[in-house]
Amino acid sequence: MFSFFNKKASAKTAKDRLTIAIMSDRDNNGAFPFMDQMKAEIIEVVKKYMGVKAIEIKKEVVGNVEALSIDVQLEGKD
Amino acid sequence: MGIIIAVISGKGGVGKTTTTANIGLGIALNDKKCVVVDFDIGQRNLDMILGLENRVVYDMVQVMDGEVTIKQALIKSKMSPNLHFLAASQTKDKSVLESGKILKLVTDLSLDYDYVILDAPAGIETGYEHTIEFADRAIVVVNPEVSSIRDADRAIGILDSKSQKVKDGGEVLKYLIINRINPKMVQSGEMLSSEDILDILSIPLIGKIPEDKGIIDASNQGKPIILDHNSDAGRAYARIAARLCGQEVPFENVEMPENGFMKKIKEMFQ
Repeated sequence: MFSFFNKKASAKTAKDRLTIAIMSDRDNNGAFPFMDQMKAEIIEVVKKYMGVKAIEIKKEVVGNVEALSIDVQLEGKD
Repeated sequence: MGIIIAVISGKGGVGKTTTTANIGLGIALNDKKCVVVDFDIGQRNLDMILGLENRVVYDMVQVMDGEVTIKQALIKSKMSPNLHFLAASQTKDKSVLESGKILKLVTDLSLDYDYVILDAPAGIETGYEHTIEFADRAIVVVNPEVSSIRDADRAIGILDSKSQKVKDGGEVLKYLIINRINPKMVQSGEMLSSEDILDILSIPLIGKIPEDKGIIDASNQGKPIILDHNSDAGRAYARIAARLCGQEVPFENVEMPENGFMKKIKEMFQ
């Protein structure tokens, strides 16, 4: 009976999940339109010294603190 | 000057091309001159939905490159003399699109037609960006389903930052079409309702299309479903076309359709 109820309520789950996902999408794309440019520049800087395979930049919010986490994957060691 | 409308969705497979064909034909049936242009280069499909695939000789890339005139490339619809169609190139790739050439094409078309409707490719890459670049308005097509709605929001975000109108300090008016609504699933809480979707995307609604098996049959035959007055989806498209032509058409409750019994009683009193 309970699982039956859950199944029926999934539209609500969809709305909640979508609201959060879209808010975060808008944040990342709206607030940082320069993100691609910044990525490219960081890659250039790191490349001067070592090989770069990939880069990922994420905005994280912990309590009142907003932070950028920059994850640079280096080339080599395959 | 006619109005340039881009039909966009972000995600593929939500009914963008079907929508372009139906509202294009619907506008033409409202006695307005309308041209539909397939911007999905390399994946030409609007010709099949309109039943015009055998008439395509020249495509929009050849027009943009000056190899042929617009008149040579335009194909007249069999269903309305007011509707013309310009095919996408099937052999070239999206890199052939250039802003200057697109501007000239859509501006030239808008001199001769009341409505210029551009069918955007799926995704949010350059092909999409070029389609929305010179649009005055956009029709956003979504399905009541999470990936479609999220992708549509991204596509809207790009529209709001990269279109020429926005760069000039203006705004591209957006209209939402919710396609493939399954009324029973909405009623039982298994599918997002249109209120939910409007809350999330916050752009004005221009129409709701119920799921309709007739859509497949219509595309099999190359006859847009708007021609079938007995089809729920066809009538929904007709209402959208009328709204786009400036008519006040009340919104029908697609999600809570009157059942057969109530309908009969209503008809008795008419």
